Amino acid sequence: MHSFWYRANALLTFAVTILALMCAMASITDHLNVPQPQADVQVSNINWFRKQPNGNDEVSLTLTISADLQSTFTWNTKQVFVFLAAEYETPKNSLNQVSLWDGIIPSKDQAKFSIQTTNKYRFIDQGSNLRGKEFNLTLHWHVMPKTGRMFADKIVMPGFGLPQEYR
Amino acid sequence: MDLQGQKLSEHLMQILLVVFAIAAFTTGYMTGSFENMLLISVGGAVLTLLITVPDWSFFNRHPLNWLASQEAEQNPKPKLQPSPSKRFTKKTSSK
Repeated sequence: MHSFWYRANALLTFAVTILALMCAMASITDHLNVPQPQADVQVSNINWFRKQPNGNDEVSLTLTISADLQSTFTWNTKQVFVFLAAEYETPKNSLNQVSLWDGIIPSKDQAKFSIQTTNKYRFIDQGSNLRGKEFNLTLHWHVMPKTGRMFADKIVMPGFGLPQEYR
Repeated sequence: MDLQGQKLSEHLMQILLVVFAIAAFTTGYMTGSFENMLLISVGGAVLTLLITVPDWSFFNRHPLNWLASQEAEQNPKPKLQPSPSKRFTKKTSSK
């Protein structure tokens, strides 16, 4: 009964159990980290603003996105997914979210960035509500851990507006 | 591997794995590196495997001393005495 393979099996089982326990503990240490992220987004230019033939409003923006998400990284973080959404209210829907840009941050070194870009995904309203519309730009991020729970948070930046006329 | 060796091997296995796990977690957390934790714990498991799984000579320091066959003949195994068994007692009628 107490053979070579019996001992090898017992060792492997115990080692894997302990490894699972260590992973659980690693994911608990994530809760000790209190991130203090910063973000700032500027609309540097409204490239064009038009009504599509089907009646939807579409706008093209040039954005300057700077953020410091280094404090969201812990030893148990695999990567951080970040996306910028335009959020506004219309008579029909109290919250409209349009994703304008996203990115994957694979390491802490790259978590502090400043980029200038046109919107990666098209900013289209399903309707004709964008003229003179006030909107928020919200930076959302999802912290993806190596083991354990995924965290999500956001920074809302209010006070952006679109022109009254198409251009 | 003798009986004392089996006990020693099992204790060694458990103690070594737990010690390596504590060392791995502490080092990983201190250096902020999940990879270090995995490397140390897997390395520790391999080392523990090499120490406790093969039948090393230090697991065989308490060999069992069997009785010599002649001595066994002088002390024969006691014969089983037929004992009154409950199975064969007369069945009482039950209603």
